[in-house]
Amino acid sequence: MSEGDESQEIVQPETDPSARQVCANGICMHTTVVEAKLDEGNIQEAESALREGLSLNFEEARALLGRLEYQRGNVEGALRVFDGIDLQAAIQRMQPLAEKQPSKKGRTRSDSVHAVSQHAASLVLEAVYLKAKSLQKLGRLNEAAQECKSVLDAVEKIFFDGIPDVLVDNKLQETVSHAVELLPELWKQSGNFSEAMSAYRRALLSQWNLDNECCARIQKAFALFLLYSGVEVGPPSLAVQIDGSYVPKNNLEEAILLLMILMRKFYLGKIEWDPSIIEHLTFGLCLCGQTSVLAKLLEEVMPGVIHRIERWRTLALCHSGAAQNGTALNLLRKSLHKHEDPNDILSLLLAAKICCEDRFLAAEGVVYAQRAISNSEGPDEHLKGVGLRMLGLCLGKQAEVSSSDFERSRLQSEALRSLDAAIGLEKENTDLILELGIQYAEHRNLNAALRYARQYIDATGGSVLKGWRLLALVLSAQQRYSEAIVVIDAALEETGKWDQGQLLRMKAKLQISQSLHTDAIETYRYLLALVQAQRKSYGPLRVAHQTEDNKVSEYEVWHGLANLYSSLSHWKDAEICLGKARALIQYSAETLHTEGLMHERRGEFQEAVSSYTNALLLEPSYVPCKVLVGALLCKRGPKMLPVARTLLSDALRLEPTNRLAWYHLGLVHRDDGRIADAVDCFQAASMLEESDPVESFSSILS
Amino acid sequence: MATEDDAMITSQTTDDDSTTDDGPIAAAAADNTTAMQPTTTNNTRPHISWCDSYSKAQSAIDSLKSIIPHIPASLLSSETPAFALLHDPEIAIQCSHLLRQPDSGGGDNNLCRWFYDTFQTSVPDLQLVVLRFLPVLAGVYLSRASLHKPLAGFEAVLLALYAHETTARDGQAVTVCIPDISHSSIYHESTQTLKNSATELNMAVITPSLEPHGRVRSTRRARIVGVALELYYSKISEMPVDSKIEFCEFFGTWAGEFGNNYDQPGIDNLRDGQNKNGNSRGGRINLSWELLQPILRILGHCLMGPEQVENKELREAASNACRALYLRSLHDINSRSILATGSLVKMSEELTDSFDHTEIAQTNVISL
Repeated sequence: MSEGDESQEIVQPETDPSARQVCANGICMHTTVVEAKLDEGNIQEAESALREGLSLNFEEARALLGRLEYQRGNVEGALRVFDGIDLQAAIQRMQPLAEKQPSKKGRTRSDSVHAVSQHAASLVLEAVYLKAKSLQKLGRLNEAAQECKSVLDAVEKIFFDGIPDVLVDNKLQETVSHAVELLPELWKQSGNFSEAMSAYRRALLSQWNLDNECCARIQKAFALFLLYSGVEVGPPSLAVQIDGSYVPKNNLEEAILLLMILMRKFYLGKIEWDPSIIEHLTFGLCLCGQTSVLAKLLEEVMPGVIHRIERWRTLALCHSGAAQNGTALNLLRKSLHKHEDPNDILSLLLAAKICCEDRFLAAEGVVYAQRAISNSEGPDEHLKGVGLRMLGLCLGKQAEVSSSDFERSRLQSEALRSLDAAIGLEKENTDLILELGIQYAEHRNLNAALRYARQYIDATGGSVLKGWRLLALVLSAQQRYSEAIVVIDAALEETGKWDQGQLLRMKAKLQISQSLHTDAIETYRYLLALVQAQRKSYGPLRVAHQTEDNKVSEYEVWHGLANLYSSLSHWKDAEICLGKARALIQYSAETLHTEGLMHERRGEFQEAVSSYTNALLLEPSYVPCKVLVGALLCKRGPKMLPVARTLLSDALRLEPTNRLAWYHLGLVHRDDGRIADAVDCFQAASMLEESDPVESFSSILS
Repeated sequence: MATEDDAMITSQTTDDDSTTDDGPIAAAAADNTTAMQPTTTNNTRPHISWCDSYSKAQSAIDSLKSIIPHIPASLLSSETPAFALLHDPEIAIQCSHLLRQPDSGGGDNNLCRWFYDTFQTSVPDLQLVVLRFLPVLAGVYLSRASLHKPLAGFEAVLLALYAHETTARDGQAVTVCIPDISHSSIYHESTQTLKNSATELNMAVITPSLEPHGRVRSTRRARIVGVALELYYSKISEMPVDSKIEFCEFFGTWAGEFGNNYDQPGIDNLRDGQNKNGNSRGGRINLSWELLQPILRILGHCLMGPEQVENKELREAASNACRALYLRSLHDINSRSILATGSLVKMSEELTDSFDHTEIAQTNVISL
């Protein structure tokens, strides 16, 4: 340790790099003595030691001392040193330098900031900046922010055309970049959020000549602040808005914009990949329900950045969140391929869920669900119930397209078994309770269905419409119409006007079942007014609540009214309603069905058959018309009986619980002399009559 | 065009409402909602002098004296009584305790009545005090909604918050335009427009338009609570940390429980309360999007908000809540909420970047 006098301290730059030194004007010296003087609290002596050793002026020496103290971690000392310089005055002195020439407008201005003044500016600004940092470390955040802000104000005054790319010395630029980045953080730490917000905007919207990484850090920090601070400060001021460019109106828009820009910077190779950006973007876009936008962004990510399986899985979630289930399923098929990640339980469950909504995919879904169940072990064991639930739903759906009675009842009982096992594991899952109720109802186990419907309403506190509708449907299947109407009325009481469509439709049907035709017409009228008002006022901004996807359409109302009038033989009214329905949907099997019924009731059999046939041409699997054609043909004499029998059997294959089909098939068997078969059919028809709901049970889930 | 039909339907709504009778507070709430539309202008800009709000805060504290056993002396002598009320930990503990009592939600409950009256003073600082207790109130309310218990007191408070927000927004939906990066924007580096063909911006509805509600219809319950939570979120930066922690702690119950994947301290109080009444239901609630969306925003704040960096307890509570919610979304196989909660979970696991980029380079050679 050299304990000599000052002359010995002055050394050549190349000696001993591990000891701290200060350098200026081409001379370097060790700081031991200076540090010792500082430790004694003798700032002035330390200062004069520096001035003599390195031939510096007062401000330079102070700035250097301050930096030395700061680097030694002695921030209080640094602050004392900086307090000795009148930094504001120094800044003031610098401004005329820059302001002398600018009146000429433009070009020559950058020349005005010549090297000497830049050096002085750099020195002073770094001192102010370090003062701000010292104050920050001492927790005096407001003062720190003020100092930091004065750095930026000074820079703006010195270069009021923005900092030129060239002509700026590195150290000055470094200080400016640091100050730009620090200021919003200081305001944020001091809890002054609106100042933080404007500091961020100032950082990003003025020309500071920041490098890409620094700018990206500020953009990310600002985006996070916008997303999570919970402080809404309002859009950027008009001053920064450029014609025709997009100006975010609120926090969420601004945050998403910034994060998207960061993604783009990464593609352009300007910054390094930061996986958290995509997480924040995911969060922001999910809040807006815009997962399809997220999908698009993920597709743009270069290959190799996100693992392909991960990307497929996230994309599938995005598409399924945007109700694009087909695309989602295709992606999941890729990620579940045996060479990829065939046992990923989340993908398996999601795939099974998508499949259980489509009868033609249900069989595929069964396989996914079974794989999910066998893979739910260890930390994923808690998902076993979910797997069983999906298996039950897929099996139930698969039963709809089964080729034989035997197969169907096997699938249905398996479905029920699986759902029962699921509820054992997930006792509190209300969705599951509802699904069990529907499955039992489909199975025509109405008592069990009723129990689950009640349990569902209890568990949800009556907060979900589906529960009320299931209860009413089960009651209607038990022919307890007046009780069903009471349920619907109670549900109407618990519903906002805009959500009452489906309830009113069901109420009208219940009233028709009770032969309360005038009441039903009244209900339909009210429903019509509601639907029309909804159509007018919904507009693009209105998003319905829980009934979003299953709103009653105006067409349905006119069609229902037409049916009602036709059953009352009010032909003229029925025609009007049919006309209205046709104006909304020109070609529809339902309309033709009603038309045919009207012809038939008026004895116009030829026209009736042609209406039914047209309906079947439009929709080959439209069961009601199949049944009616079969019934009409059956009356045409023995030659037609085989045709009728084929049609009716086909109808029953599609819809095994169609009561009318069983009845007419019974008539065909009777006319053909197969009495035993006829008895079976009639029996089936009479049993089903006692369990026919006013709307299909599966309509609740759709 | 549609206004007539609208009017028809709204007027019927309010007609129905005035006939229902859910106890004195709820009726008052109903009156308030009905009368809300014409007085919009008066409500949005309450002109309250400092003196007025001081005396209102004093009288609020006076009436609180009869409800909770002990009021700290510092509160009585405070110069900013509303602020002191908001941040007093002792008051918070006592009120939260009272709210968690088995019979706390009745129409004749004094604390609920106090909340209701305090909120109706229209003094913003006092309204913050009511919002401070929204997490516990909404939490207890939602967990009990299916238990056939008296809830009119809770509902009156929630409806007051809902009505306040309806007025403030004039019933309008809140929307955002999802930016399209191919449009130039204020943050683009080049100012020239890359593509000026008016491609449609993606419009997204953050929260749909609001209709007045005079009472809590069960199918609108989630929406009403959701809107109250939106109001809470809009003031969240002014809320004490304890209030946010209480919010996070409800998720163990709300989300239902799945194995040992997370441990959830602090929710025992509520569950005990239920068990005492011989009910073993865990309080799992239906998490529809209208409820989940504001919840996610609040959780995002609790996890990633500016002041959370230092507050470990809140971060911990928030990340537990996120995990619970993530597991719940897996059980519901709800894609959107799997994505949102999944990203929150990943954020909570990720260590915050501790490197300070604003620090100057440390060198041994200090040069001028």
